[in-house]
Amino acid sequence: MELCDLSALEMTKLLREKKTSAVEILQSCLQRIGRVDGRPGALDQVVTDDDKQKVHSFITLTDDLALEQARAVDADLAAGKDPGPLAGVPFTVKDIFCVKNTPSTAASRILANFTAPYTATPVERMQKAGAVMIGKVNLDEFTYGSSTESSAFQPSTRNPWDTSRVPGGSSGGSTASVAAGEAPLSLGTDTAGSIRQPAAFCGVVGVKPTYGRVSRYGLIAFASSLDCPGPVARTVSDAAAMLQVIAGADEHDSTATVLPVADYMSGLEKGVKGMRIGLSPDYFRITFPDLKTGEFHQQPLPKEIEEAVRRAAQVLASLGAEIVEDVPMPNTRFGIPAYFVVSRVEAASNLHRYDGVKYGLRTHKQYTDLKQMYKISRNEGFGLQPKLRILMGMYVSAAQYSEQYYQRALRVRTMIRRDFEEAFDPQGKYRLDALLTPTTPTTAFAMDAVYGDSVLMQYADQLTVPANHAGVPGISLPGGLDGTNLPIGIQLLGADYTEDKLFRIGRAYEQATSDEAWRKVLPGVLR
Amino acid sequence: MTEYEAVIGLETHIQLNTTTKIFCSCKADSWFDPPNTNVCPVCCGLPGVLPVLNKRVVEKAVLLANAMHSEIRPLSFFDRKNYFYPDLPKGYQISQFDQSLGKGGYLDLPIPAAASPDKMPYTRRVSIWKLHIEEDAGKTKNVGNCRFIDFNRCGVPLVEMVTGPDLRTADEAGQYLIRLRQLLRWLGISEADMEKAHLRCDANVSIRVKGETILNPKTEIKNVNSIDAVRDAIAKEVERQIREVEAGHRIEAWTLEWDEDTGTLKKMRSKETEADYRYFREPDLLPIRLTDEWRDAILRDFPELPLVRRSRFVEQYGLPEYDADILTSERKLSDYYETSVREYGSDPKKVSNWLMNDVLRMINEQSLNPEEMKLTPKALAEIIKLVDAGTINITTGKSLLEKVQATGKAPSQIVIDEGLAKVSDDGAIRVVCEQVLAESPNEVAAYKGGKVGLIGWFVGSVMKKMQGKADASKAKAILEELLK
Repeated sequence: MELCDLSALEMTKLLREKKTSAVEILQSCLQRIGRVDGRPGALDQVVTDDDKQKVHSFITLTDDLALEQARAVDADLAAGKDPGPLAGVPFTVKDIFCVKNTPSTAASRILANFTAPYTATPVERMQKAGAVMIGKVNLDEFTYGSSTESSAFQPSTRNPWDTSRVPGGSSGGSTASVAAGEAPLSLGTDTAGSIRQPAAFCGVVGVKPTYGRVSRYGLIAFASSLDCPGPVARTVSDAAAMLQVIAGADEHDSTATVLPVADYMSGLEKGVKGMRIGLSPDYFRITFPDLKTGEFHQQPLPKEIEEAVRRAAQVLASLGAEIVEDVPMPNTRFGIPAYFVVSRVEAASNLHRYDGVKYGLRTHKQYTDLKQMYKISRNEGFGLQPKLRILMGMYVSAAQYSEQYYQRALRVRTMIRRDFEEAFDPQGKYRLDALLTPTTPTTAFAMDAVYGDSVLMQYADQLTVPANHAGVPGISLPGGLDGTNLPIGIQLLGADYTEDKLFRIGRAYEQATSDEAWRKVLPGVLR
Repeated sequence: MTEYEAVIGLETHIQLNTTTKIFCSCKADSWFDPPNTNVCPVCCGLPGVLPVLNKRVVEKAVLLANAMHSEIRPLSFFDRKNYFYPDLPKGYQISQFDQSLGKGGYLDLPIPAAASPDKMPYTRRVSIWKLHIEEDAGKTKNVGNCRFIDFNRCGVPLVEMVTGPDLRTADEAGQYLIRLRQLLRWLGISEADMEKAHLRCDANVSIRVKGETILNPKTEIKNVNSIDAVRDAIAKEVERQIREVEAGHRIEAWTLEWDEDTGTLKKMRSKETEADYRYFREPDLLPIRLTDEWRDAILRDFPELPLVRRSRFVEQYGLPEYDADILTSERKLSDYYETSVREYGSDPKKVSNWLMNDVLRMINEQSLNPEEMKLTPKALAEIIKLVDAGTINITTGKSLLEKVQATGKAPSQIVIDEGLAKVSDDGAIRVVCEQVLAESPNEVAAYKGGKVGLIGWFVGSVMKKMQGKADASKAKAILEELLK
């Protein structure tokens, strides 16, 4: 066990006890990166066989800046000043957040040359809390994907448990960097499951907070009404400590709620006695449309995944929670189709600003007029995913189709929200504190296995996307390993602003299973 | 011969005079600033930024909506209007679409005789079709093959207000803009200066045979930046359309550009189809929730509007329309007038005469703000009273206006300090009269020879010697007596 394998809270504790320094912690993380990460993603690279053995979390390593920050933390500590609750804790940032004077690429060629002149609110809050940013990590281009493979910066991130597999996505760099011990914390974003799905694939804790709980200022927008910044960590307590730091109102984001932030840490160890935790049959199957007939087919989840969730339910029951079976969540199956429409409309609009006029890529080719400059620049700068999303977004928001697609999708969204309201209604039939579900329909799939099939790729988010539609919080926890030693994720979903409850349940489960054999298994790159 | 009438609707963009922009804290007005100096990541649409609504924008728009008799929605929404243009940095404009702040409304527009075809004044009701808040785009300047873009104007708050096709003459369109400009300044929500693009106007123009109710294809006139130009451009376009129709041609839905220098209209483009802006709700902003408390606070001090005040001045003070119109041209001036009338206590027409003849000239010549003048309504009333009481003559009274404005002293104090009180003492006047006659033997001879008109000259000489303080009628009587 090296310094970099400690949890964030253990690191700050050692630091405050003067048993280590921020610089030492940082160096341990940088060593780990040197050992497992391989080269960072870059434009126009051919992936070699060597590359395929490494993790490739990063696009930009900011080690110089990190060293400066770590030294400042050490100086503060030496001077008896309080350097903040996450003092000296290294963290990585999904390269979809703007950080001042740092390349902020969104993993897209069109922003490859863009250096942000300001810092995103959640990053700024981490830095203010004393955390040390060690770099910007890879993701699907503009977060459009569930495997990180669509990044314009190759080699894209690979799963530390098995580098022939995807880390999930789009926050694949975030979850891989945390799983591989490159940093104990990472800042990701979740629009349909982009924190929870890769957290499940990489065996770490991923939190999608309630919409509006964390400011989006500085987050390069995908689908503004769904995007949620959130923590990635190796333990529930670390995730809670990080959310404590980044959550809260922001004068730069009027959609960030002014409701006070709960104290996540104080209730963490209170256990689950008397809590009502639901299981829903609608989360134990996936539903997908036949592309020719439009009919929906249903398929049960892999046994190992359902079993992991049921095992977790038993553990929680044994700790005093009441398990409520058969909670209906009938609109879950419409989550992906509705998401296809809503997210594409917002994405297409959010991508309009990348036009080659002000920043980012402008073509070097000859053009005769402005329109042509737009077309060539956008054609060169955007990869396949942004192009597909622009096409679909423009189509379904066109005046003659909007009612049939976009407006209808918004109504579906309301229905999905209603499922959750009924399940969590304190006066209702189910009165749940949380819903316990699998995070993903499968464990990490092989690189290249799904990439290219945009529809199938989207269905990786089927069990996570309802929370984004509804705005409710969700957390993915490591829930065991499958037969090939790949992590299985279990998910807890709660009512608005009940992150504290989800952390409490997650922590109870984590503690009760801490001695289980699968907890001792290390990711492949660390074995 | 067929008689035609014009059918005109105006689309106005009104720049609100807030200190900062609508979604960021950059300075709103950049008229005197070099390009790209009032900009930040938010108004330049950098990746990752978010808009935060300036509440003052809503408040000013609510004032306008109320003045236009619009229904003010307690819940209204922002929408994205998507289109590509280099001076639109986000590729969409944040605007309001189907659930805008104001719904409907109208303005009863008085058309004065001078602007009326048959020289009879009348009122035209102009309906309001759209009243919403939006952000401005930047400015593009084409120089040769280059485009220069100034983002200063991005995010400047606008209200877009569109009338129904209710105006029937170019003069009516001009009157609408005059009244709108007056109203905006009255409410203190816009500087409404067309030359500085605080108030921008596009005109939709069509014609039809008089008596018909159908709407024919219209043309849209853009880039008109003065009220006169709007009037001229519409008049020219109506003439052209009549010529075309008379010649058996069809009117096509063109967009026309007004060329200020040559006073002509040029075709910018044909309008084939309406652009699809793919409006959808702006997910980065919350809806505007105008609570009753907020709305009441905004409208608590809602002023009497200029046209209402104008009618009241006619009724309450018995002023001629002409006086009432001028005295209500500006809110502070009309407040000044009313306070003066109150201070004076009677004869509002007399106060109006003083104001319109002398005080207004002073205000205009010295660009004074009526609210901040040292010549307060109270001082004005005092001066008129001094004249009424015969303490000073009217000439002294008028010169006192300037003196009070210059020094800020009370009029009566100046009269005492400078000894300006009228001399009514017969003996004192008689001495001066004798002196004048003694000094002017030629004029005396002429007078006695029959040139009695010279009496005025003698009175003037006496007044001059007495620094204008003599009671002129007394001086005249004494002179006539001495010259017998």
